[in-house]
Amino acid sequence: MARMGMVFDLKACIGCNACVIACKQENSLPNGVFFTKTLSEEYGVFPMANRVFIPTICNHCEDAPCEKVCPTGATYTREDGIVMVDDDKCIGCSSCSVACPYDQRTQMEESDFLKGLFGNGEITPFEEDGYGRYTPGTVTKCDFCSQRVDVGLDPACVVTCPTNARIFGDLDDVHSAPSKMIRERHGRPPLPEKNTKPKVFYVN
Amino acid sequence: MATEKSKGQPTANSLKSGHWVASSCKMCLHSCGNLIHVTDDGIINKIEGNPTNPSNNGKLCPKGNAAIMRHYDPARFKQPMRRTNPEKGTGVDPMWEPISWEEALDITAKEIKKSLDEDPRKILPSLEDFQKFNIWAWPLAFGNFNFYQSGGTMCGGAYHPINGFIHSAFGCANDAKYCNYWINNGTGDGFSSHLHAAAQANWVAKARTERNMRVVSIEPRLSIGSAKAEEWIPIRPATDRHFAMGMSHVMINEGLCDYKFLKRDTNSPYLVGEDGLFIRDENRQCYIWDAQNDCAKLWSDKSIGKIALEGNYEIDGKACRPAFQVYKDILEECTPEAMSEITTVPAETIRRIAREFAEAAQVGATMKLEDGRTVPFRPAGYNYYRGAQGHKHGAQTNHAFKLVNMLMGNIDAPGGHMGVVLDTKEVDINHCVPGESGMLTPTPHQLGPTPPFAYPPNTYHLMDYFPLGVHPPHFNLLVHDDPAHFGVEFTPDVIVNCHSNPVWAMQGPRTKWFDFLRSMRFIVCVDIIPTEMTDWADIILPSSDVLETWNCTMIEPPHTEGQSFRQPAVPPLHDTKSEEEIFYEISERMGILEAYNNVVNLTLGFEGHPELMLELDKKYTDKEIAERKGKLWNGKDIEWYMERGHSVTEKRLDKWYRPWEGSRLHFYIEDMLVERNKLKQQMEDANVPFRHEWEWDDYQPLPSTTLDPVHEEPPEYNLYAITFKDIQINFGESLSNPWLKDIVYRDPVHTGLLLNPKTAAAQGLEQGSIVLVESPYGHVYGRINVSEGMHPETLGISNALSRMKSKDSGVLPAGGHFNDMLPYDLRNTDAATGQPETVCKVKITKLDDWPEFLKDGHTVYDLIAKNESAKGKGGQH
Amino acid sequence: MAIEDKVFSGDTLRSGYRFQRHWDNSMAYAFIFAELGAGIFFVSLLMNSLLGMIMGLVLVSTGKPYFHLAHMGVPSRSWRAMLRPDRSWISRGLLGLGAMIGTGFLYVIALAFGEKLGISPDSGLPGLLKVASATFAIVVMSYQGFAMSHSTAIGIWNSAIIPMASLLYSLSLGVAGALVLLPAAQAGGLVDTQLLLLLGLAIMHVMLLHGGWHGSPGARTSVELLLQTSYSKWFWGLVIAAGIVLPALIMWGAPGNRLLAIISGVAMLGGFCAWRILIFKIGVYEPILSMNPFRTAG
Repeated sequence: MARMGMVFDLKACIGCNACVIACKQENSLPNGVFFTKTLSEEYGVFPMANRVFIPTICNHCEDAPCEKVCPTGATYTREDGIVMVDDDKCIGCSSCSVACPYDQRTQMEESDFLKGLFGNGEITPFEEDGYGRYTPGTVTKCDFCSQRVDVGLDPACVVTCPTNARIFGDLDDVHSAPSKMIRERHGRPPLPEKNTKPKVFYVN
Repeated sequence: MATEKSKGQPTANSLKSGHWVASSCKMCLHSCGNLIHVTDDGIINKIEGNPTNPSNNGKLCPKGNAAIMRHYDPARFKQPMRRTNPEKGTGVDPMWEPISWEEALDITAKEIKKSLDEDPRKILPSLEDFQKFNIWAWPLAFGNFNFYQSGGTMCGGAYHPINGFIHSAFGCANDAKYCNYWINNGTGDGFSSHLHAAAQANWVAKARTERNMRVVSIEPRLSIGSAKAEEWIPIRPATDRHFAMGMSHVMINEGLCDYKFLKRDTNSPYLVGEDGLFIRDENRQCYIWDAQNDCAKLWSDKSIGKIALEGNYEIDGKACRPAFQVYKDILEECTPEAMSEITTVPAETIRRIAREFAEAAQVGATMKLEDGRTVPFRPAGYNYYRGAQGHKHGAQTNHAFKLVNMLMGNIDAPGGHMGVVLDTKEVDINHCVPGESGMLTPTPHQLGPTPPFAYPPNTYHLMDYFPLGVHPPHFNLLVHDDPAHFGVEFTPDVIVNCHSNPVWAMQGPRTKWFDFLRSMRFIVCVDIIPTEMTDWADIILPSSDVLETWNCTMIEPPHTEGQSFRQPAVPPLHDTKSEEEIFYEISERMGILEAYNNVVNLTLGFEGHPELMLELDKKYTDKEIAERKGKLWNGKDIEWYMERGHSVTEKRLDKWYRPWEGSRLHFYIEDMLVERNKLKQQMEDANVPFRHEWEWDDYQPLPSTTLDPVHEEPPEYNLYAITFKDIQINFGESLSNPWLKDIVYRDPVHTGLLLNPKTAAAQGLEQGSIVLVESPYGHVYGRINVSEGMHPETLGISNALSRMKSKDSGVLPAGGHFNDMLPYDLRNTDAATGQPETVCKVKITKLDDWPEFLKDGHTVYDLIAKNESAKGKGGQH
Repeated sequence: MAIEDKVFSGDTLRSGYRFQRHWDNSMAYAFIFAELGAGIFFVSLLMNSLLGMIMGLVLVSTGKPYFHLAHMGVPSRSWRAMLRPDRSWISRGLLGLGAMIGTGFLYVIALAFGEKLGISPDSGLPGLLKVASATFAIVVMSYQGFAMSHSTAIGIWNSAIIPMASLLYSLSLGVAGALVLLPAAQAGGLVDTQLLLLLGLAIMHVMLLHGGWHGSPGARTSVELLLQTSYSKWFWGLVIAAGIVLPALIMWGAPGNRLLAIISGVAMLGGFCAWRILIFKIGVYEPILSMNPFRTAG
């Protein structure tokens, strides 16, 4: 069975956050809500200062704590390893949010949808078309664009990344792009000591 | 809520039932290929890159991904409007009254014609749809060369003319396909900005990850490019020319140059007299010194034994030197130590980079191209753009960068430094034309015809005195200050503004620009959304946006060529028209329809193609013009383009690699002196009163070490201030877009004035200090963000902190505008090209609190404070 | 920015520590009512105080559901929260809560109206109910701590001490309640118990903070916030001084004084509420990834 995962190429990432906006497009997200984010970190002292761009996303952990603590079973793992949220079952208790070491769970509030993207209550046709998939109050997250994956497409963020810094595929397939990258460039998961067995890896 | 899932329909936007439209993006100047998804209900709900377009390979930058929110912006102009509030100002409610198109166009045509009939020079056009030069060129229909330009001269004033001189091209970039050692000086090419951001980022990323291309980035701020580069070389602002000259000094004095290239492919062996002009025979042919036979011979003489690059010689008693020797002499004082003093870059670094660059360039190596040619292989390139080139001595600065490349013989060679054309219009047109005396014909007028010399001036921005350069629009303000001084006999009173925001873009104090605008009798704005400029309009003519219109454009793609096609994904949302329709309607009403069609035929290259030429008495739609542009390129009709979205391919090899083969490149730009002498004589003959103020020394055939005047401001101004954008906001208006705002004001480089912590501490400042920043010319307010990624002498002010609030716009004001602090005078403008100075010296004063006018709770800094102090909840809660 | 400077990301895109605010004050109030009520009920059960038992049950069955529902994103669906006792401490706790309230009220009825109903308080059924409700009360007293410590996300919560803290606070508040409600004769022995519990609380705090200080960078950051920076005044002033030191002094110096017992109880309540709220506020997520080679832990 497939085991979908992702690799972030830290050498390539330019921190442009095109992925963020592709995701907002795909998922009709309100302002301030991010299913993926690219962070930046500055360190060092002039003139040896440096800045790194660090893409982050739900890691679709094999041992997902969000799934374990969910009291209703709304959070569950698909056969292909994608950790999903059943919007109909979620009660919005946010236990998953405090269980996720990566803070990748998002609770959407009604005010988000009422204010709209332009903040003044004028809801655009795009939003009208897209907001219907959400129940305000539920806690949701990235689902690796599971519907796109089902028809053989890559997630929206992967497709748009200008520098090909996001590599997606089946980790069970040793010849897949992410598998090869993990092997060749020593991929490592974020916060491995949290024991969640992420399926997202970083290479330098 | 959540009703759709239960119907079993996909909820992911790209998968909802609908269709895809192949088109092109326009969230910046350039035109990456995209695919637009329209649902069965006619809603645009996803835009992706078009993977069949070899330019951006299916990628889009954050701006391209955000186009939907421009399209559905509730603040979009929905119908033509007239102002009813006589008081005008940015942020002042015009109190728009909707009117019919008929009325709006009639008023517009009438008002323009009124001033036109008095004097065509009274019209100030600011038409800046970079993807539609047929609109840009409209004023030529009534012989008007005025230009109240909004974009381009900060980044391109000297850049374009020098590219025109060296490559006969518009822009430049390194060849990412083969480059191994990529220098970026004052540019974000391949990382954050400039040419086709998503496309270049893709090409450069491939080079870095697949071939380990090394990047060295030279600039005062640790930008994205410097962060990714293997080496960041911090440099004092406005000293990049000196860095390049220091490198050149090392390369020449250590014998690292490509002498074969210099001798054969450039005019560097041509003998230069003491007056700076080439020594020429009676047929105006140039000479080369034959070192083997110890005599001067004509450049075309096949019997030349050994071409001399160095030495001092005599022809007919006239002392002369090869142009190469002239530069070598200039560079003598440009030792790394001396240049280190000026740039603050350690001498050893200058030396080392020069040697590394030369080694990486593989002088002498060749490669065989697929077209059979064997060409030099030079996998090292020195790339540069706005930050490095945007200075008073712009021409010399650009030239200095070119010469670093030229010494390595990498001009238009695989892996090297390439000229990038704007739009060759036809696939078989080679932009390079052999010229006189074996040299390439230079084409410094890359942005259209230049008005001829005239006194009294025929343009309000003194373009009559820039035979080589791009428009200096800031001179509109200079002349406005004192028209009599410049002998201007007309007073512009009508602004025709399309796709342009001069209130945002111009340098000089906003308050003075506001006075200038108040002096206008009539302002018409053709635009999509409200901006700082549209608040001043008397009439708004709303244009349809990029998802509703047609076009074909090329726009300086670095590695590719072909037309990027644009077709509507949906019919116009509101009562808007295409720019073509608007300008045709106005032209017809003004009685200049025929003249305009002539201009379009000329501008778009339809001349000489009878099947494409526009009939002079007809009005054309954007679709009809797009169709012709497509056919002009490859003969394919519009259905072909509608299916594919583009005709983009990788550049034809003979147009990318050494398209000037057989001509000599302008190592030495004699035209600088020729044009200077000519202009000087013309001014003398016409008794132009300000000719003694004109900065004649700006015209140089080779770079000099003259410091830009910004370094000579009074010492109380003890820091350099620079401005910048990044990939979220480059080359376009982005900050009204909620998706882009959502990422911009969370990025630490856009949330404060960047200052090195040691410098801050020395001035008694710290993270979060509220400050007043003053240059000799203006001021801004802001809040300090300390950053180790800043040269200690530099204050960085993002352009995201330089906007103003206008009616209905979601754009948030900051503490003023960086451009207020820039000069707009002759002293700080390159007389050779019109390039203005883009850096200023400032002093900082710490304040206890914001001034009153910034305390209304709705500035950028309020949003930033909210983001920074938020305790998070996976969102803004 | 100097190397060691700690970055709190807020809502920016800077890599750094992010506060958890998913479990907000509303959740804290729910936790407070649950532990306070369960503690009072439990101790009252042991001390046979009908009033105390009723008070405890009322606190648990009103405040806890009210604030929990107020916190819930989709309150109408909240019954689903009991569905996964196999995996979720929330489910286990809510089932335990329901059971405690159910058996508790039944026991109270048996005690209050036993004679009228013909049931002896010492007979099998009430005895079973007593044991059952006591057991379920222990579940309620501690399950919230287990829920907090279950996952590795928030360093300072991911400690065995956290459920202990819940239990200790519940018991000590229960005892405080008993000292106020019960006649002096009955409550006499409880003073020593209370002193031990206060000692236990003090030791608990030391263990928790020590463990956090030497734990993950996020845990250390939480401890810094509590002891040194943003929340230190509240912690030292309310949680320690009012919540532990003052009651200890009163228990030690004036054990029989009812007024002082009330003051001591209120102070302990104040300290407990402050702690419950603060432990949520200082929860931070670790920075997801750092490329800074010079970064020191925390």
